[in-house]
Amino acid sequence: MNDNILEIENLHVRFSTFDGLFSAVNNVSLNLGYNESIGIIGESGCGKSTLAFTVMRYLATNAQVEGAIRFKGINLLENSEKEMESVRGNRIAMVFQNPYSSLNPSLTIGFQLDEVGMHHQKLSKSQARKATIEALEMMNLGDPKGIVRRYPHQVSGGIQQRICIAMALLCKPDLMILDEPTTALDVTTEAVILDSIAELRDTLKMSMIYISHDIGVINKVSENIVVMYSGEIVESGPKKQIFENPVHPYTRALINCMPRGGVVKEKTKLNTIAGYVKRRGVDEGGCPFADRCDKKNDTCISKYGTKKIGEHHYAACDRAYAEDIPDKLKVRITPIARKKDPDFDSERDLLKVEDLHKIYGNKRKVYAVNGIEFSVKPHSILGIVGESGCGKSTTGHMISGLFPPSKGRIIFGDTDISIGWNKRDKETLKNIQLIFQNPGRSLNPSHTVEKIIGRTMQKLANINNAKERREKIIDILRKVDLGKEYLEKKPRQLSGGEQQRVAIARSLSISPSLIVCDEPTSALDVSVQASVLNLLNDLQVDTHVAYLFISHDLNVINYLSDYIMVMYAGKIAEYGKRDEVMENSHHPYTEALLSAVPEVDPTKQKDIIELEGMLPDPAKKIKGCPFAGRCHKQVGEICVKEYPPMVQLTEDHYYFCHIKP
Amino acid sequence: MKYFFYQLKKSPLAMVGIAIIVFWLIAAFAGPSMISFTHTEMDSMNQMAAPGEYGHVLGTDSLGRDILSRIVYGSRSILTVALLTSIFSTVVGILLGFSAGYFGGRLDTAFLRGMDILMAIPPLVLSMVILGILGDSSIASLTIIVSIAFVPATARVSRGVLLTEKSQEYVSAARIRGENHLYIMFVEILPNTMGPIIVEATARFAYSIMMVASLGFLGVGLQPPTPDWGMMVIENKPIIAQAPWAVLFPALAIASLVIAISIFSDFVSKVLIHER
Repeated sequence: MNDNILEIENLHVRFSTFDGLFSAVNNVSLNLGYNESIGIIGESGCGKSTLAFTVMRYLATNAQVEGAIRFKGINLLENSEKEMESVRGNRIAMVFQNPYSSLNPSLTIGFQLDEVGMHHQKLSKSQARKATIEALEMMNLGDPKGIVRRYPHQVSGGIQQRICIAMALLCKPDLMILDEPTTALDVTTEAVILDSIAELRDTLKMSMIYISHDIGVINKVSENIVVMYSGEIVESGPKKQIFENPVHPYTRALINCMPRGGVVKEKTKLNTIAGYVKRRGVDEGGCPFADRCDKKNDTCISKYGTKKIGEHHYAACDRAYAEDIPDKLKVRITPIARKKDPDFDSERDLLKVEDLHKIYGNKRKVYAVNGIEFSVKPHSILGIVGESGCGKSTTGHMISGLFPPSKGRIIFGDTDISIGWNKRDKETLKNIQLIFQNPGRSLNPSHTVEKIIGRTMQKLANINNAKERREKIIDILRKVDLGKEYLEKKPRQLSGGEQQRVAIARSLSISPSLIVCDEPTSALDVSVQASVLNLLNDLQVDTHVAYLFISHDLNVINYLSDYIMVMYAGKIAEYGKRDEVMENSHHPYTEALLSAVPEVDPTKQKDIIELEGMLPDPAKKIKGCPFAGRCHKQVGEICVKEYPPMVQLTEDHYYFCHIKP
Repeated sequence: MKYFFYQLKKSPLAMVGIAIIVFWLIAAFAGPSMISFTHTEMDSMNQMAAPGEYGHVLGTDSLGRDILSRIVYGSRSILTVALLTSIFSTVVGILLGFSAGYFGGRLDTAFLRGMDILMAIPPLVLSMVILGILGDSSIASLTIIVSIAFVPATARVSRGVLLTEKSQEYVSAARIRGENHLYIMFVEILPNTMGPIIVEATARFAYSIMMVASLGFLGVGLQPPTPDWGMMVIENKPIIAQAPWAVLFPALAIASLVIAISIFSDFVSKVLIHER
């Protein structure tokens, strides 16, 4: 018997579109042994999902497939639709990115899971239900008998995803494909799910393909890594070798551009990859990465092909450490020294927030922000971190004036600005700018870049002369590394990173004193994220603007912030100087959050603190500590009954908990 | 635009639709001068002539008037009314729908209930009643009345697309730089809603042709001597057994134009969805 469960041989997938034929997967060969798990990593548009969909034969009608995919020796590409039915979901199972769109909202969870057993294994209804309960138990879901009666919307996103995985497990498949199953989830939830996936892999002896853009995630679940770029496998091998000795320049750049634990802006500048993933036409030859590669030379087109590097380690290029071209990645670029601003006065607060509340809705109230107090020092970066639903964006939006607070005060300089945009004066509007999460949505798709930036200048900086304005726009575009040719472009002609640069340019064009950045990099790929973070940092050093930087990614926050504020369920959990919070965290939630961040270095794996349960219902007013229900360090009744007092550690470092230091 | 022609090449149906529309446009502009009979001329020697007889390409009616000439001449009035109606109802619809959707609250509720009331009355009945009361059926009054009957539909579509755009972040961005409501509505939002609104406007074009023809058929449409396709059908109904062509050809004219515009409207919506 063959020792590979899945063999992909010279697979090509092409899509024919209005813009012509383009290649999504190009000459991919891949072997997956029994009980082996591989992780496929790459940025969006690199063909990872297309590869998975091709294995499942889920492709759209405009796809053309060439090559062979042998599953246990049978070529799936030659199977009829009928034959595929007995493979799909039965022998090969797949878990998708969004659990809420893979579950049917109008059927109970039990019904949907029973169907799988009844259809594929011809079980009776009661047998199927038994199998369902077993599968749910395998995913460590407490009370599976209660869950089967519920509808998908009645459980949290993390549980939904675990249900999807349980569904994939029902037929005891030989191969499981997971396509970014935790990308849409919070880090603490992600950590729990990754743990159970790793456990399953060991107990059930399944083969597994795990797709992700995050090396940290892949490290937790796979032994071997496959790096894809623009539809091709550029490197593959055991994770340790890939991490310690990346041979392909792309792999190396990818590992280096992620802000890892401990990397901070004062010491290192993030490495970036110029440009972005481009669609490839069918007849384009040579290395797909060549146009973004620092190490490119004339062999990139002619002598391109996969080489064996070591045992099980293959790469399409071995120039990652080539010395004929100076190594940009080796030099740790030291960031520009921070100039001291003569006007800087750290005693004075730029922004002060007092007892801020936001309650949405009239009849059914939602308590989004429940009384927080903090201040932003001039010329500093305050990072707000927390999971979805913790009120961090609401806070940012109130400060930038999208809506007024329900209670409490926002004081900017000397003026009270606890009012909405329609009541704020021009000066305040100019001084506080907001950068949104999704640049594609925050730039008007029908306006040109010139109009987008120019209108803000005209409105808030009173530059009415079109010629003068144009010069200033060109100037500001240069600051965000965009050329003059962008003036006439419309947002959809730009890549995600370029769009975000335009949004940053718009905010900066009127020299504000505070920019609220609401997850500005979370919609971007890691290589683009790195360049945007570098840019934001450089601009801050340059212009002395203060940022209120909101993110769910602790590594990003750690990299960029001077101060960190951890939020949970509309309350502050911990606040302090970056190093104090990161190295000497006191709140149990901060600890859990820190432990859940996936580690990029496979040799440095840590124990995670698993958080069970979900966020408290935001429609209820909480009397005790909002974190009490999930806390691993709960001290007793007092946690539920009484709101924890503020514990002041140093002048700038405090947290809210009943546990004393 | 490039995509428009790319899709057009792949869709023979849309090509047929556009060809029919172009045919009627040419007929309306240049047609009357190319036909040897005028629309009111009564060839009393050749009443109810069959198509092709005595130089009457599509025959004559009971008074000996040339059917072709009357259809071609009638296309002028019907296209004028339909075009103006679709423009008016769309513009008024945008104004009403945008202000209701943008400001929301009580204004929106009042708008919705008002539109519900107007929609509860079939547009045809509504137009008939108003035309009957006014007793005037000129092109101008017909246009205004049919427009009023269509406003609920266009206003609702405009309100709907505004609501989806209103929650976009670029609108928030415009707010916090202190733009006024009119600017946000018409400079920021309007260009991004043009797709669905254009589709609705072309659909309204087809509907208003039906409407004008129906009103003509019911006798409250354009009054003689202006030839009207609907009126021609009802006028010639008594002689349908002897001269079926006098009914058939005007009816075909209505059907061909309505179907062609509907096909075009579907096609436009398909192209515009891709644009988004």
